[in-house]
Amino acid sequence: MLELRNVCKKFGKTVVLDNVSIKVNDGDVIAILGPSGSGKTTLLRCASYLTRADSGTLVIDGEEHDMNRISGKELRRYRNRVGFVFQNFNLYGNKTALGNVTLGLTVAQKMKKEEAEEIGRKLLAKVGLSDREDYYPSKLSGGQQQRVAIARALASNPEVVFFDEPTSALDPELTGEVLNVMRQLAEEGMTMIVVTHEMEFARSVANRVVFMEGSVIVEENTAEEFFNNPKEARTREFVQRSLSWRGADDASDGTSDGTVADNAPAGIEEKP
Amino acid sequence: MTERIIQELIDSFGKLLMAGLKVTLPLTAAAFSTGILIALFVALMQIAKVPVMRKLVRVYVWIIRCTPMIVQLFVVYFGLPNIGIKFTPFVSAWIVLSLSIGAYCSETVRAAIESVPVGQLEASYCDGLTFWQAMVHVIIPQALRTAFPPLSNSLIGLVKDTSLAYNVALVEILATAQRIASRTYDYFWLYLEAGLIYLIFCSILTVVQRKAEAALERRR
Ligand SMILES: Nc1ncnc2c1ncn2[C@@H]1O[C@H](COP(=O)(O)OP(=O)(O)OP(=O)(O)O)[C@@H](O)[C@H]1O
Ligand SMILES: [Mg+2]
Repeated sequence: MLELRNVCKKFGKTVVLDNVSIKVNDGDVIAILGPSGSGKTTLLRCASYLTRADSGTLVIDGEEHDMNRISGKELRRYRNRVGFVFQNFNLYGNKTALGNVTLGLTVAQKMKKEEAEEIGRKLLAKVGLSDREDYYPSKLSGGQQQRVAIARALASNPEVVFFDEPTSALDPELTGEVLNVMRQLAEEGMTMIVVTHEMEFARSVANRVVFMEGSVIVEENTAEEFFNNPKEARTREFVQRSLSWRGADDASDGTSDGTVADNAPAGIEEKP
Repeated sequence: MTERIIQELIDSFGKLLMAGLKVTLPLTAAAFSTGILIALFVALMQIAKVPVMRKLVRVYVWIIRCTPMIVQLFVVYFGLPNIGIKFTPFVSAWIVLSLSIGAYCSETVRAAIESVPVGQLEASYCDGLTFWQAMVHVIIPQALRTAFPPLSNSLIGLVKDTSLAYNVALVEILATAQRIASRTYDYFWLYLEAGLIYLIFCSILTVVQRKAEAALERRR
């Protein structure tokens, strides 16, 4: 349903994306893994036109779009079909939780306020924040803010949602509530592309894993194969290193997830 | 201070106050609201990098900041009639004061807009909003909140600057005091009284500013 073909992007002389292609099927949950600076964020940003790719083609339901040029009208239509969840939430500071969810509906889609609020309330209920609809972002915890941001991304009823490290800015004890919402979305069949360092989430929720390094895709595989039987030597090294971090390191790597309490250090267990 | 002077001050107090309420305050309100709109316009032209306009607004800011307001006022009120454009004293003062507020506040407004995290603009785009919709619904409301304290200071400065309009025969507080004093020769007392009226107006504004800031703070 969504395909990125031959995406290229340079910042100045630095090549950040070198002919990257990804095909996303309906209901896929794709985890994009890879070391810092490998171009994961840039890929998601190019896929939502927040960053202009130098070249590349985006295909959504058979419709082709040039990733370097698009008309404002086509772009806004496309943006209603995808959602984006940012690492640092980016909630609108002058809107309540409900206002954050409904703004795109009332302003961009000209929906009636009552209708938009009905949708907004349903989505806030879905992320477990019905009792917070009148709160401003500054009065919400990081985990709550990110759940509002997820509800906002879902407001236009998108076909696919991009997540850029949705739990990286959170205290370890708050990541569980966000991951649980994402897990629930995945179970409902939402198509998702998730850049993450949460190995356990990738292993248990994603059906496919894309491993990026040095501006190219090194390996693309089913989640199961990726973790148990990776094709590339480089991938094997990465998987081993990140799994051993989990066991050895303290909470600072932010990989606590709650589902694998067996080898997680006691300090980073989920406190929902 | 004789009884006569006390009586004179009591009589004139009402007149000065009325001049303040009928001339100074309306002029302040008109010039401030127009000025803020100009400041927003200047800031947005620069932030949105609108070709040509961004250069023109810079020239405007440069000219206003680098020429005395009294010269601008004379050009508008005494000068423009030479080329067939006539404004009343009130309108002349309105034009000059708005242009001044617009130029001086444009930097404040621009800095406030740029202080809103750019991620919120990107989030608006992802919500399908256009640049201008994002500005109106997300960015400018937050920017004005940030700019509120410096803008209030400009408002208080403006109240005092309206006294410049005395020079183009606008009968505001100072001109009213001057007229009364020219009959009684009690310049000392009447100018003090004029100062007192400005002091009262600006003190009230300061209190309102503090209350409003506290209220804004509660809403975020
Ligand atoms: N706006 C920019 N201007 C210049 N260089 C940039 C810009 N954004 C990203 N880069 C560079 O592009 C490369 C890829 O960045 P990107 O943010 O996509 O990496 P990432 O895989 O998301 O890393 P991380 O895991 O740290 O988030 C980095 O070398 C980065 O320095
Ligand atoms: Mg990143």
